[in-house]
Amino acid sequence: MTPIQMTFSTNFLLGLMGLTFHRTHLLSALLRLESMMLSLFLATSLWALQLSTINIATVPMLVLAFSACSASSGLRLLVATARTHGSDHMQNLNLLQC
Amino acid sequence: MPSLHIILTTSFIITLVILISPVFTSILYKSLNPIWHTHHIKTAVKMAFFTSLLPLFLHVHTGTELTITNLHWMNIMTFDINTSIKLDHLSITFVPIALYVTWAILEFASWYMKSDPNINQFFKFLLIFLIAMVTLVTANNMFQLFIGWEGVGIMSFLLIGWWWARADANTAALQAVLYNRVGDVGLIFALGWMATNLNSWEMQQMFITAKSLDMNAPVIGLILAATGKSAQFGLHPWLPSAMEGPTPVSALLHSSTMVVAGIFLLVRLMPLMQDNPFALTTCLILGALTTLFTTICALTQNDIKKIIAFSTSSQLGLMMVTIGLNQPYLAFLHICTHAFFKAMLFLCSRVIIHALKNEQDIRKMGGLHYLIPTTTSCLTIGSLALMGTPFLAGFFSKDAIIEALNNSYLNAWALALTLLATSLTAAYSLRMIFFVYMNFPRFPALSPINENIKSITNPLKRLAWGTILAGLLMTCAVLPPKPPMLSMPPYIKLTALVITILGLTIALELALFTNKQRPYMPKQYFYFSTMLGYYPTIMHRFFPYTFLKLSQTIASMTIDQTSLEKTGPKTITSLNLSLATTTSNIQKGMNKTFLSLFFTTLMIIILLNYY
Repeated sequence: MTPIQMTFSTNFLLGLMGLTFHRTHLLSALLRLESMMLSLFLATSLWALQLSTINIATVPMLVLAFSACSASSGLRLLVATARTHGSDHMQNLNLLQC
Repeated sequence: MPSLHIILTTSFIITLVILISPVFTSILYKSLNPIWHTHHIKTAVKMAFFTSLLPLFLHVHTGTELTITNLHWMNIMTFDINTSIKLDHLSITFVPIALYVTWAILEFASWYMKSDPNINQFFKFLLIFLIAMVTLVTANNMFQLFIGWEGVGIMSFLLIGWWWARADANTAALQAVLYNRVGDVGLIFALGWMATNLNSWEMQQMFITAKSLDMNAPVIGLILAATGKSAQFGLHPWLPSAMEGPTPVSALLHSSTMVVAGIFLLVRLMPLMQDNPFALTTCLILGALTTLFTTICALTQNDIKKIIAFSTSSQLGLMMVTIGLNQPYLAFLHICTHAFFKAMLFLCSRVIIHALKNEQDIRKMGGLHYLIPTTTSCLTIGSLALMGTPFLAGFFSKDAIIEALNNSYLNAWALALTLLATSLTAAYSLRMIFFVYMNFPRFPALSPINENIKSITNPLKRLAWGTILAGLLMTCAVLPPKPPMLSMPPYIKLTALVITILGLTIALELALFTNKQRPYMPKQYFYFSTMLGYYPTIMHRFFPYTFLKLSQTIASMTIDQTSLEKTGPKTITSLNLSLATTTSNIQKGMNKTFLSLFFTTLMIIILLNYY
């Protein structure tokens, strides 16, 4: 595995671990999502460059656009949570189990 | 006599011009004297009456009839509409009579409505009504007749609701318009049928082209129109309610002129109906039912104006019976004689009501025979004429109708009903006379009884002369077109007289029971009559309620509820809400546990792949 591939794979894995094992804040989960998106962007653009396949050359742009949308919707949910629950602590988001 | 047609045409046009001119002068300038206008209109009607006597005398002397076609109004391809005035026996005879009665009523109204601030407008309304009536009577085509028809309907509405601040008057006016409208549907249907099938609205062309067609449909429409306008059974409640208007209105519209418009329509269009036995039978049965029903209702009314209104209604039923007997001339004769005595009865009743300080209940009148002798004499003459006393006006028409009824081979049930109604006519007339001015007074002592005013006695006297002489003059002047049955057994000939006297004596006996100290046990037999056969109670409440409820259900449930709540915006809301509720009931939360499990499972699978 080339070093660059190891970089973005590790980046992805670390972000995933952070997403699943987050503790308190919703904002940290959103940050992890952003880093996962970043690694995916890197991966697809390297794929298009190294293997010279033109067909997937647009995919990185699409990935960026969709990540921006998801980030904005995540931020909206964060603001809504802050409005209703007063903070973005994850423990507040569980209505059925205290 | 030379140039007869020119004389007839000119004099009739002059009559119309005299009648129409006050309407225009009232628009053009206003005088300083506030009641100038009433004298103006009354004089105009008087002059128009005298001018219209000339065509009448010419017609009686020489039998002239003519049609004036003035202007070609419009045409729709081959369908022409002109303004044409038909002066045949019917219209030449009716117009002077209507003008005479109107003259008397206007003179009476100038006393009665003197303190009304809008008296000029009242007289103008009456004049416009009269013009519409003359248009209706002299129409030679159905379009002009329809204009007159609608005109009298609208003027009736405006005049019944004259005292518009009174809720009862507004209700009565609305009732009159609605019931007339239902009848108008029949007339419009007949107009449309004739336009499409007979290609003309001119009467002459209609009569010729209708000989070969099946005329059931338009004739039923015409009978429906007559039912609405002439208050036959089924569309009759507006006539007693129309007594909310001022008495000149009741005397002119709802006794002499407007309500006979329906019968006049049928008389005018008799050639369409006389070969149609279905139509004739319908008229016969409808008329017999009307006359008996309204006579029964008149027996137990306590308001003097309502008694006279129901008596009008029963005479209209009698006219309808005559049409059903295929005797249009007799129906028209009854229209003319009835106008005189009914208008006189209304004016007498108004004088009596005014004399007792607006007391309309006959149970609170009495003993007026010595106090207002002229009025009560005229009331007696009018009631006797109504009953068909020999040689007064009513006799010549009513007795002829009963004789024709007895000699016909038609429906015996209708015959029996009409005979019963005739005797009951005598009964309620006697009841009215007995309670109004026989015996002793039952009203408080201080009453403004005064009939020394010329404006009251002169109209009453003129109408009384008319009541006494009109029948004789009309019968002697013109030969009836259909030959009457001249020989019959004595008991048939005397039927009308005998049953009238029978009704009179029985009613007198029953009325004198009140003086004889019998124990009075009220029975429920007459509730049907007092409540007017429950007809207004049922028709005015049940049907409007059903229709309005149905329309409310359609508007609110099938339209609003369906489009908004079942298929539209609210569906989405409710559906989503139920889904979200179900889903959140299933969800337990615990996202940390879920995410940890997810990660662990993912790692296990990836690592397993490398093994």
